[in-house]
Amino acid sequence: MTLDFILFLRLAGLICVGLIVANFVAAPRLGYARNLAGSDKLVRQIFYVHCAYIVFLIAALALLCLGWPELLLEPGMGRVMSGFFALFWASRVVVQLTYYDKMERRKERFWDVFFLIVFLSLAVIFAAATLIER
Amino acid sequence: MKELLNDGLMFAGFGFTMLVIASFWIPKILGWKEKLLGLTPLMRELFWTYAAYVFASHVFFMILTLGFRDWLLSGTPAAAVMCGFILFWWTVRVYLQFFGFDLAEVKDTRLNRIAKHLLTLLFLYLMIFFAILLWWNLGGAR
Repeated sequence: MTLDFILFLRLAGLICVGLIVANFVAAPRLGYARNLAGSDKLVRQIFYVHCAYIVFLIAALALLCLGWPELLLEPGMGRVMSGFFALFWASRVVVQLTYYDKMERRKERFWDVFFLIVFLSLAVIFAAATLIER
Repeated sequence: MKELLNDGLMFAGFGFTMLVIASFWIPKILGWKEKLLGLTPLMRELFWTYAAYVFASHVFFMILTLGFRDWLLSGTPAAAVMCGFILFWWTVRVYLQFFGFDLAEVKDTRLNRIAKHLLTLLFLYLMIFFAILLWWNLGGAR
């Protein structure tokens, strides 16, 4: 069971790699630089720094899932980390459904649904990693 | 040495708790709500979402340092990797504090100055402490 589940965690790692690439595609597509041009320097800096930290966090998760997935299945700390990432991705689904502007989401309906499925898949994989019998 | 590091972790946990509590005031002090009004709704939403996830990461660090001290002191490769991750996180933050962020726009009040110095001290402490903890987990001083 654990060995089978490692495959799912590796899949989660690959999805995270895809999300990192997507972040770099999103910046020009959504016009980060253009949209932030009129704002205060500190606001711009905070936006980019927070964005970079999130990309770094996802990169570390990708590395963990692809290189050492068994650590996420260990009792104790492994379970806590899997639980944290289950909450992390589940909350991202909630944010997308309840907080993001509905008009903007409608304009990009394909990507809206695509990323919902991606975030939901990650939430399910990490929730299962938290709850799976060892 | 281990007892000292355990106390250091308690102090780091206390620091994270203070940071998490202070994070509720930071947007107000920096006037995010007013300053973000000029952005498009999507950019505003992204800004707050990123900020919330960075905040959640700090909550995770707080839980880790307060609730899993034995694990962080276990000397295992996993503990070393986690310490390395947190060390990198705060090293970047210290660099940004001194050389990155332009804090000239922040109101120069006595309270803001004190808060800035306390945050700088906390970031420095976290960077140095997690470097020591990484060294310990890699076999140093044992």
